[in-house]
Amino acid sequence: MKFFNSLSKRPFLLIVALLLLALLFVTSMAKTATLETNLNEYMPKTHPAFVFSTEAEELFGIGDSILIVLEDPAGIYNASTITKLDQMTQSLLTDFPDIDDVTSLVVADNITSMDGMLEVEPFYTGATDEQALAKLKEQVEANPMMRGRIVSGDGTATLLIVEPSPQANTKELQKQLQQWLETWQGPQTLRIAGRPVIEGSLAELGPKDMAIMFPLVVVTMIILLYVLLRSVRDMVLNMIIVLFGTLTAFGTMTLFNIPIYAVDTMIPVMLIAIGVAYGIHMHNAIHHHMLSDPSITKEELARKALVQMVRPIIMTALTTAIGFVSLMSSEVLPVRYFGLFSAVGVMTEMLLALLLFPATIYLLGKPTYRSKIAANETPPLAQKLHTFTSNHPTAIVIVAFAVLAIGIWGTSRVWIDTSFLANFEEDSAIVQTDLFVNEKFGGSSTLNIILKSDEADRFKDPLLLSRIDELQGALQNDPVVGNTLSLATFIKQMNQAMEEYAPGTYAIPDSSDLISQYLLLYEFSGDPKTLEQVIDYEYSTANITVQLKSDSSAQLKSVLEIVQTFGADFAESGVTVGFAGSGYKAYVFSELLLKGQIISLLLSFIIIFLLLTLLFKNWRVGLAGTVPIAITAVVNFAVMGILNIPLSSATALISSIAVGIGVDYAIHFIEHYTNERLKAKSQTEATLETMGNTGRAILFNAVAVMGGFVILLFSVFPPNRQVGALIVVNMAVSALGTLTILVVLIHALEARGRFLPKQSAQHNKLGVHA
Amino acid sequence: MNKHFRITLMMLLLLISSLGLFANPTSDGEAVMWNVYNRDSGNAMSSTLTMTLTSAKGAQRVRSIAQYRLDSDGIERKMMFFLTPNDVKNTSFLSISYEDGRGDDQFIYLPALKRVKRIAKDNTNEAFMGSDFTYDDMGTRHPQLDTHTLLGKETLAGTPVVVVQSESKTPSEYPKTISWIVDGQWYGLKKEFYAKDGTLAKTLVIDEVNLIDGIYVIGDMTMTNHQKRTSTRIQMESVDFAVDLDERFFSERQMQIGPRR
Repeated sequence: MKFFNSLSKRPFLLIVALLLLALLFVTSMAKTATLETNLNEYMPKTHPAFVFSTEAEELFGIGDSILIVLEDPAGIYNASTITKLDQMTQSLLTDFPDIDDVTSLVVADNITSMDGMLEVEPFYTGATDEQALAKLKEQVEANPMMRGRIVSGDGTATLLIVEPSPQANTKELQKQLQQWLETWQGPQTLRIAGRPVIEGSLAELGPKDMAIMFPLVVVTMIILLYVLLRSVRDMVLNMIIVLFGTLTAFGTMTLFNIPIYAVDTMIPVMLIAIGVAYGIHMHNAIHHHMLSDPSITKEELARKALVQMVRPIIMTALTTAIGFVSLMSSEVLPVRYFGLFSAVGVMTEMLLALLLFPATIYLLGKPTYRSKIAANETPPLAQKLHTFTSNHPTAIVIVAFAVLAIGIWGTSRVWIDTSFLANFEEDSAIVQTDLFVNEKFGGSSTLNIILKSDEADRFKDPLLLSRIDELQGALQNDPVVGNTLSLATFIKQMNQAMEEYAPGTYAIPDSSDLISQYLLLYEFSGDPKTLEQVIDYEYSTANITVQLKSDSSAQLKSVLEIVQTFGADFAESGVTVGFAGSGYKAYVFSELLLKGQIISLLLSFIIIFLLLTLLFKNWRVGLAGTVPIAITAVVNFAVMGILNIPLSSATALISSIAVGIGVDYAIHFIEHYTNERLKAKSQTEATLETMGNTGRAILFNAVAVMGGFVILLFSVFPPNRQVGALIVVNMAVSALGTLTILVVLIHALEARGRFLPKQSAQHNKLGVHA
Repeated sequence: MNKHFRITLMMLLLLISSLGLFANPTSDGEAVMWNVYNRDSGNAMSSTLTMTLTSAKGAQRVRSIAQYRLDSDGIERKMMFFLTPNDVKNTSFLSISYEDGRGDDQFIYLPALKRVKRIAKDNTNEAFMGSDFTYDDMGTRHPQLDTHTLLGKETLAGTPVVVVQSESKTPSEYPKTISWIVDGQWYGLKKEFYAKDGTLAKTLVIDEVNLIDGIYVIGDMTMTNHQKRTSTRIQMESVDFAVDLDERFFSERQMQIGPRR
């Protein structure tokens, strides 16, 4: 209190300090700010699932490929298309140093055997006469490794699978490829797809769209704040507080050399939604003191407003910051940073609200408000609300329970999903290409099943290979699985070729010696590289590649469940089952995210209950205060469930805003009401006064933030629309919950004489330690 | 003739000879490589190879192979039988290559399949049995395929050697190689293979050479692939140039019978 008062009496010092800080943050951001777009950076690297996956990725060269689709509706087996495919493949291999390898029809080898002649030769020999093309078509269609995998089942499209080198700048490579692709367009259609393309576009689109939308949000809020506060000065102060808070969050982040993750685009959203409250409550207090005593001196006004607001604002900021800091329990690094620096931003906003409002009074004198409500007159809305809450307490409780019930039902429908594709409009080129690839080929997403044994040569065992084959069969029955590839596939293919396509020979042979000899022959054939993708050098670790027609982690879960049913069988063979690949990592990531979110939510509920209990020296009040928050959180998840908004890194964080804002409202309301009651006002008087004063601030806050974020509903980027919708819902439910159910609960406690602290002296003791 | 004149004459001779070198700088390199190509390697030979393949991670595959070779009438016949590991025992491989440039004939026999298959593929630049050696490396590449330049003479591990650079006349995976050849005995001690971008791709080091029946036989050599970080060691034992072999031995029937005991 003393600190705020004495510092705000030196407004010039304050301004210089703020300007210097702003300069420091801006230069630091300009110098070191880097946007982290590599999604692998989001994953907790030491988590066993990630360690395992990374190891397997290295062992088998598993990586996300860029897919280039060449489509010729008349069929690809014509001289012009095949020649183009050949030229494109050569160009990719020679013109791009960042490309490690290219798989396409023209570079693939075919093993066939007819009349005792074993042929290991390329599908494409360079000849494009009619006869050669007919032979090419025949061979591709007879080969399950090609048909449906590299060439579409109907023969109208083919893939070029581009493997970027590990050190490649995929974003840059993708841009180059896009341009390069345009030079080959027509008459065939060319498209680009694959996870790197989706991730790249996503990482770019989200922040780009936010950069367009965010100024619109700010402008809308400026207008709304002006309309609500009726003062340019208070509006400007409010905007300075939230913008400086955001600047501090990002500035300290860059000072610590922490890269900016995509999740961090949520920081300004959070800090604006939360920070506006501090300024509005300060404005509200100043406004009321001026109304009740029009002749008040500016020193007195600044002091009185501070005395009234220092405790609730510090408390609300602390609880919110604690809510954010609880995100530090997350295993996901960017979420941890997000929590930490949002907390930094919130604390900054709190300090600024308590400093800037009194300081401007000292500097510029008392504010003037354009229209004034007569002193001691309760605004009509507060009156109405009070009448409603006191007349229909049962109805409110019933509605609250109904909302909770619907909310819990809706929450049960929340699906956890990290589908990257779901972030794009259905008619966008990226989604359309993905649909095309999934329709014509095995699928654009991959899951790797890693089978491990301690014994060398274990995977030459026919029984084990048959089990793998069975697993592949079971997987392929799932409509989301397009294709599978394993050592078993190679052996079956080889067996069929060596047995010269006799019926029933597309199978695992019974003899393990024969399997060994096939493998030896495969090594000799000069193409052992393809074998290295499915089996390690010692034949003790195998990789089953499963192509999926969806990148949704919910779909992946169903596939994982199929694999788990084979776990016991493999265990019997001394083989453990693990998973690898970016799709799987994304799945584990989303599970961690959900777990972390639930833990941090529960944690913040407990902390908030304890804090409220401590603050108001009454556990019943603590409990009552958490009710509106609980309702907000449940409604937040229910809306997600009902509107099919998946729980993703961004949406998951918004539930913490529900808690952060909800608890602020409760603290302000209970604090003000308690103070009024301690001034010996009646229950009705106190309620009316609190409604008209704090209630007004709460409504202003809610309206300003909701109005601002409604703008996001017009974003072209679906995830940003979801953020907007959830913020609006959370603000509305928090405000409404506080002004209705909390009031009913307070009255219920009052009726039992359980609300006010037994000794009012205790409260005062607590009150002034800021 | 005074002393002065003799020195001038010697200088002149030196100048002429070096001019000759300039006029046809590769002639010596060519000669060395022809000597290497024409070095006596015996007409018939049997031996046992131990091939050790080492992966980038250090894992190893060890295979032993009984090998028979017969050179006659410009045709080189080679037969190989796997002795170990047990699961590929008696898998055999027959290749017949023709000096006149006809493509090789290759056959493979898988005992568990009980069938001989003819392999229709031109393997010259492919890996030899999945190793770091190519088929080219295993035989001696014809000198006419490359342009050879003598880079100099030095000593390698105490042995005087000539260093020859060979550049392929046609596009090749390794457009440039440098060989260290023992002067006068015409077997190599070391060979470096350079990739298209000029970086060192593979190094062959010969660690043991034995003189058997007047023929230099490489007893131990290791090819290291620097790009893939893999290596292959081939050791040759029980070399016999007096083995009694004729064309009939190199048959599909023999492939199924197995090696001689």
